Parts: sequence; C-alpha cells; structure tokens
Amino acid sequence: MNDREFCEHLDIEVKVLRIWVEQRWLMPQEADAGWLFEDADLARARLIQDLTGPMGVNDNGVDVAMQLLDQVHSLRGRLAVLMNAIRSQEPAVQKLILSSAEED
Amino acid sequence: MTSPYETLGVSRDATQKDIQSAYRKLAKKLHPDLNPGDKGAEDRFKAVSAAYSLLGDEDKRGKYDRGEIDETGAETPPRHYYRDYAQSGDAGARYESAHGFSDFAEADDIFSSFFSRRAGGQQQRQRGRDTHFSMEIAFLDAANGTKTQITLPGGGPALDLTIPPGTRDGQTLRLRGKGEPGRDGAPAGDALIDIRVRPHPLFATDGDDVRYEVPISLSEAVLGGKIRVPTIDGAVNVSIAPHTNTGKTLRLKGKGLHKPGGGHGDAYVSLKIVLPQAPDPALSAFVEGWAAGKTEDPRKGMGG
Repeated sequence: MNDREFCEHLDIEVKVLRIWVEQRWLMPQEADAGWLFEDADLARARLIQDLTGPMGVNDNGVDVAMQLLDQVHSLRGRLAVLMNAIRSQEPAVQKLILSSAEED
Repeated sequence: MTSPYETLGVSRDATQKDIQSAYRKLAKKLHPDLNPGDKGAEDRFKAVSAAYSLLGDEDKRGKYDRGEIDETGAETPPRHYYRDYAQSGDAGARYESAHGFSDFAEADDIFSSFFSRRAGGQQQRQRGRDTHFSMEIAFLDAANGTKTQITLPGGGPALDLTIPPGTRDGQTLRLRGKGEPGRDGAPAGDALIDIRVRPHPLFATDGDDVRYEVPISLSEAVLGGKIRVPTIDGAVNVSIAPHTNTGKTLRLKGKGLHKPGGGHGDAYVSLKIVLPQAPDPALSAFVEGWAAGKTEDPRKGMGG
C-alpha cells in the first residue's frame, strides 16, 4: 500500500508517518512512486501507536524499545536456526552439546 | 466472566487516573510485541485492553456500572501483532538488527560466520553502518535554526546541514546516507551528529521557556514606559507599568524555544533596576531632601 492508504488504516497524518520513517521506526520500501508498505509495517506501526498512545511511552522510549525489539527478533531468528541445526544432529551429539551448555 | 475491574486489578471506585496507570503497568508487561516468545501474553493483553477500553472511557464505564452494557461491549477485532511477522520472517531484512550478536561474529572460530551472515540466509543487503559525530553550535543558531556546511572527520565533500529551529542540547541530527557505504550495493548508513549547544551569556533555557534578566533605569522603574527588550529572535517593545520593582518578571508569550511538536515556549524577563553609571548630583540632592526615602526600611522583618 502507499503512504496515503497506510495513513488511512492507522488514522494518522502523513506528517506523523514522515517522522516515524525519519526515525527509522518504519523502513518502507522506496519505489519510484514513493513509499511502499506491507502488512508487517502496518503491524509495526500499530505497536508504535500502542507505545505512544495508551502506554504513554515518549519518543525516546519508542526509539529504545524498537531498537531492542529488532535485536530480540534477530537473536530469536538466529537462535531458532541454531536450535534446528542442533536438533538435526545424532542424539549423542545433541546430548553432548546440552551437557556442555549446562556446565556453563 | 471476570469483571473488567478485576482484570485491571482496581477497585470499583478507582479514579480514571488509577485505571489508566493500572492499564499502563499491565500493558507494558503484557503487550505481545514486548513478549515475542510468550504465547499466553496475547490473550492476557487482549483481556486487559478490552477492560481498559471499557473503563478507560468514562462514558462507557458509566454504562457498564449501570448495567447498560456488559464486559464484552468492548470486544476488539482480531489483530496481527508485529511479532507474528518478525517471527515468520515476513518483516524482511529491513528491520533486522545484527547488533545483538555482532560480538559473536567476531569470535575466531567456525561459528563466527554463522553470526556474521544475516538471519534468514537469503541474499540480503546490509545497510552501511551509521557513523557518529558531535558538533558544538551557538545558542541562537540552535534556537532559531540555521543552515551550515560541515565536513565530516575523515574527509569527504562538504555537506549541507540544516539545524532546525528549537534544536536542543544533546539532540541528534541525522544525515541520511552519509554514514559508511553499504556492501554489495546496499544503501549507505547515516551520519548521526550529536549537537552540543553552547550556553548563551544572557539567555538561559528552562524546558521550552527562556529566562533572562534585563536592566531598567531608575526613571523607567519609577515612571514606567516602553522599553526595548531583546528576545532570541530580535528585540521587541514592551510596556512597563509605573513603579515597577526589581524582580518583576514579564512573560513574553511565544518568545521561547520552538517546541518539537509545534508552537513555542515563552520568555520570562526578570527586570532589574540599575542606577546611572556615574553618580548624578541632581539625583543625590533629590534623595537627600526626600524624607520618605529615609524612613522606609526594605529589610523590615528580616531580623538584626
């Protein structure tokens, strides 16, 4: 969807959207006709609205929250890949890894 | 069914403010996007949000209390949380941040490449790193905004930097695409410039407001009149009443700093009476013969 449709979904002004993009809380794809948003961007924008609205988080707080959240998701992604790799090993290898991890 | 009061953990006679703060506390704990791995968080957050959308609105709360609507009056439509997209990889590489494990990628073992490659494994382009600088600017340039040219340390061409009006000490300005170049044709990072505002000899800031002291002469203090007063964007005429004393503060509406969300703060000008530079025989002679000036004790009640 384009920026106008995106703003309509969220009931916000384009000015507000510009600030969110400027802050890199949202990173739409840049096409010739302007920004393009996906459903994931919409869900992310709703989170920003929750934070700034009912939850009373200020702009600096949103900045911190979004940065940490992106790190958490990336970490979870890598951890999931690693776990799958471990689970595909022989049971004996899995046990070795687990006992080694538990010693730490 | 649990009553919305129980869900939020407040009593029936809680104030709207209590209800809001109870909701905020719970929402921060339970929001599904702040608990990406906790499946139960979504249901609990939904219940809390539904309770709040009922009780947070005084009108609806009254209707509920009077039994005109039930707790389900505030059912919210199903919603996709960001975590759903982030977890399934549908959010794409745009929001991924390798900062959480970049130190693992530096390890000198076979696993380092696992962490230096971006999650997902598809061909993804990583934006160049952001670079950080700091820069000191004059108070009035920050207050009124200005355009300036800078050269980043490390060389490169001169860049136009717009300092928006109302820039505060500690604020960060972003020059998009002026950081380190991206690899394999990916976009460059940003240059982030940490702004330090030099204090001004006259104007002191107090949030969005500006406070300062302006001297007035003895005649202006006694007789009143129009005086010119400096402000951050030029001098203005201000009337002062007859018999204006030192310490009197004038509020110049809208003469403070630009607020980030629009509008301006105010200027608070504290007046201070100053005697003529050189002693004036006529003034001395007048005060000599001014009986009331000798009987009044401005320090009455201060002890001693």
